[in-house]
Amino acid sequence: MNVSLTFLSIAPEIALAAAVILLLMVEVTWKLRAAVWGAIAGAGLAAATALSAWQWVAHRGADAGLFWHEMIAVDGFSAFAGMLVFPLAGLGLMSAWRLAVSQRRRGAEFVALVLLAAAGAHLMAAAGDLIMLFIGLEVFSISLYVLAGFTRERADADEASLKYFLLGAFASAVFLYGVALVFAATGTTTIYGIDGIADYLGGTIIFRPGVLLAGLALLLVGMAFKVSAAPFHVWAPDVYQGAPGGITGFLAASAKVAGFAALARVLTAALGPRADDWVPAVAVLAALSVVVGTLLAVAQDDVKRLLAYSSVAHAGFILTALVAGRGGIGDMWFYLATYALQVLGAFTVAAVVSGDGAGRSPLSHWNGLGRRSPWLAAAMTLMLLAMGGIPLTAGFAGKVAVFRAAIDAGYLWLVIVAVLATVAGLFFYLRVVVAMYLSDPEEEAAGALAGPAVGWGARIVLAVAAAATLVFGIAPWPLLEVLRDALPL
Amino acid sequence: MDFPLLSVIVLLPAVGGLIVLALPRRRGELVLPVALALSLLTLAAACRLLASFEVGPASFQFEEQVTWYEPWGVSYHLGVDGISLLMVLLTALLFPIALLASTSITHRVKGFFASMLFLEAGILGVFVALDLLVFFAFWEVMLVPMYFIIGMWGGERRRYAALKFLLFTALGSALMLAGILALALLAGDQLGRPTFDFVELLGVDLGRAAQFWLFGAFALSFAIKVPLFPLHTWLPDAHVEAPTAGSVILAGVLLKMGAYGLIRFNLTLFPEASVDLVPLLAVLAVIGIIYGAVVATVQKDIKRLVAYSSVSHLGFVVLGIFALTTQGLQGGVIQMVNHGLTTGALFLLVGMIYERRHTRQISDYGGLATVMPLFAGAFLFVSLASIGLPPLNGFVGEFLVLLGSYLSLPGFAVAASLGVVLAAVYLLWAYQRMFTGPITVEANRGLRDLGFREVALLAPIVALILFLGIFPKPALDRVEPAVQGILDRIEMTTNYQVPQFGTEADLPAAEGQP
Repeated sequence: MNVSLTFLSIAPEIALAAAVILLLMVEVTWKLRAAVWGAIAGAGLAAATALSAWQWVAHRGADAGLFWHEMIAVDGFSAFAGMLVFPLAGLGLMSAWRLAVSQRRRGAEFVALVLLAAAGAHLMAAAGDLIMLFIGLEVFSISLYVLAGFTRERADADEASLKYFLLGAFASAVFLYGVALVFAATGTTTIYGIDGIADYLGGTIIFRPGVLLAGLALLLVGMAFKVSAAPFHVWAPDVYQGAPGGITGFLAASAKVAGFAALARVLTAALGPRADDWVPAVAVLAALSVVVGTLLAVAQDDVKRLLAYSSVAHAGFILTALVAGRGGIGDMWFYLATYALQVLGAFTVAAVVSGDGAGRSPLSHWNGLGRRSPWLAAAMTLMLLAMGGIPLTAGFAGKVAVFRAAIDAGYLWLVIVAVLATVAGLFFYLRVVVAMYLSDPEEEAAGALAGPAVGWGARIVLAVAAAATLVFGIAPWPLLEVLRDALPL
Repeated sequence: MDFPLLSVIVLLPAVGGLIVLALPRRRGELVLPVALALSLLTLAAACRLLASFEVGPASFQFEEQVTWYEPWGVSYHLGVDGISLLMVLLTALLFPIALLASTSITHRVKGFFASMLFLEAGILGVFVALDLLVFFAFWEVMLVPMYFIIGMWGGERRRYAALKFLLFTALGSALMLAGILALALLAGDQLGRPTFDFVELLGVDLGRAAQFWLFGAFALSFAIKVPLFPLHTWLPDAHVEAPTAGSVILAGVLLKMGAYGLIRFNLTLFPEASVDLVPLLAVLAVIGIIYGAVVATVQKDIKRLVAYSSVSHLGFVVLGIFALTTQGLQGGVIQMVNHGLTTGALFLLVGMIYERRHTRQISDYGGLATVMPLFAGAFLFVSLASIGLPPLNGFVGEFLVLLGSYLSLPGFAVAASLGVVLAAVYLLWAYQRMFTGPITVEANRGLRDLGFREVALLAPIVALILFLGIFPKPALDRVEPAVQGILDRIEMTTNYQVPQFGTEADLPAAEGQP
């Protein structure tokens, strides 16, 4: 096989790894200014994005190109994941920039961890083998565990990190057990190829599928944990609330993207022949997630916690697309891409309002924001309306897309549950809007009339998120059209 | 393609909203003139629409269609028939009036007028959209400015009212979205590709069960908006808490969207279910008529009284629609316009007196006719129109509705006519308590009568009330073909026969002839 092509298949990871090594080594030797970290990280992410885009051009719409003994699958699916997750990491860094700088010497590690997480996330989407997927999962997750507790001085950040680590490690173990059982049933861990799982399941009738089904269930549980689908969501609110504000957006957005990329590939490509077994389970997970996420979000008084529960509900909406199997992948990506930007934008505003290092963001911080910082409040309102699924925002287009996919697959009951949850969702999104516009700031004395200072990083993030939310809300079709090539064929 | 007049009508207010937002903060005095100018431009465009609207054909006119996303069958498809034409005109007329009535808004003026203009764009879009997904987008997006209008510039309990309004309407529309998607995919099974296009969907033959469920999904959303008893509870709160302009638009136009949806989508797309469900809807409509009137009678708050009278009047509209007769349906449409004019004017009047005295309690007034003769005259005039006194417009609508429903649902028509009597009770009694007799509260002694601006606000409405009452033919002529088209379609697809006058007498004779 062509050696240069082989290396090009993991070129985005190589670019990021190079940036990470450079950051860590150089930082140890010369104490650099923060701007240099930014330049190195930016260069690494830009190179990775460009390489993903190149992969997109070369591989979209075609069968997966397999490299490294079928460990890496390069296709439209993995390339789009790269084109999404690397810029997302860039935006996440911008949103967290003030936090990174405030950590002084540790800041370089912080930046390196974000890059590592992005590399892991992309590996999860590009894995052609369950073992490779597990490695990507671990690279990604461990980076996030550390990021969640980066402000070690705060006890609740430690708690968030530890909780995330313990439950995450447990979920990884469950996932690994699932891999083992699938291996026991099929004799392989590769997804594609002549002796891959898909081929085996497609061509063999398994008379006693118990082991396979148990493996399938464990894989599903492990991934459901990563994307915070109910009932495996309990970590999400505590982690999102405890993690430093600046990085929470990246935690939430990248976990969704990476988790769903992996889930979609495993389910539709590897276990596609057993769709009748997993589709009902996914539908139940989806329904549970939208209901549990929405109901619990209603009771929250902390915006970050509220957004965490709303992310549980959104995991349900995205799962709704997956019940359509392969037919829903394009819709899933649309929802994922637009939601990732919305949630990043929303947490960015939360970080500005309550502080980059702060964990909590009680609703009282938001009172009167509309008067203090009209632009910030307007951006947050747009993000919330988009998450609530109001037309002319990308959130509406995404909801229509996933609902259409689910109805097409015959899951009308799931769609009805989901639309009812959407309405109930408006209730808590509007609570934040009400606080921003209709409530008076609590402490007028403490300079409350001057809004919080907004860093340039947050400005860029919000501008990008708002523009994307509006553009894809008014004209979602071009992106939907493109995403039809992002299938795990 | 011809000049896209409908797109212009929808876009003008939206552009106006953006212009208003872009005005510099220091030039607050510019906001009202700019907003008013844009809404007047919209009115002018709507009048142009009226002038070039061709009377006679039942099909849609001024159609614009641009394919948006082929695989889903979504297209940007606009068009008007006689029914939507009247709704567009009503909307375009009431908005400048509502804007000009909002001089008492003093905080966040820019936001208010921008919201109003966005609201106008959304409402106009609802009335001209012929693609279900585009329709839904307008329908749903319009909630946001209305929510803010009630929630930010409303009265004491504005937050509660705004949230209640939003959740009620959003609940209905969520199910409608599921219905729209299911409908498009059902159509896809027959046509080979999904479509959201209303005109294409008319050609799809839905099964009886599917029609029944889809009718429910659509009707629930529309019934909440109308509002049909027992889904009306959001309305009094929203009306009472909304600022004057908000109430005028809410009562004048927003409620019509529900009735419009019932006519446009439920009757045409699900004819079989419509025919089957006539008894249910007629019962609810009649309950609404009487319940609304009775509750209005006992209100102490004049704004709440007018709000409940809307429940009663909209009951007439729904009864007319589901009478499924030419006269009933025509009367329903005309009554939609009439109610928009009269209730809009009543809310304006209530707003004017509220600005002077800051109370809406009927008992705080009394004998106002001596200090405010003009105001009292206008109030009496509009009340009489609302009661349905000939030769004012309310008479034409209610008469046609009762006539039409007597043909197919005689018992209901009789019960509904009780609503006309009760309307006289609550409005005239309120008039008596507020305006006649000696002045009972000292604070009322020095009240100013209507100023020039206020007279200018009311004059066009009063003129139209008179015009439509004396000479309703132009409006009826434009509605008639559309109504006939809908009923023809129902007759064609079901075994329902639209009753005509004299048919019962003719039938035996016809049978007798060999």
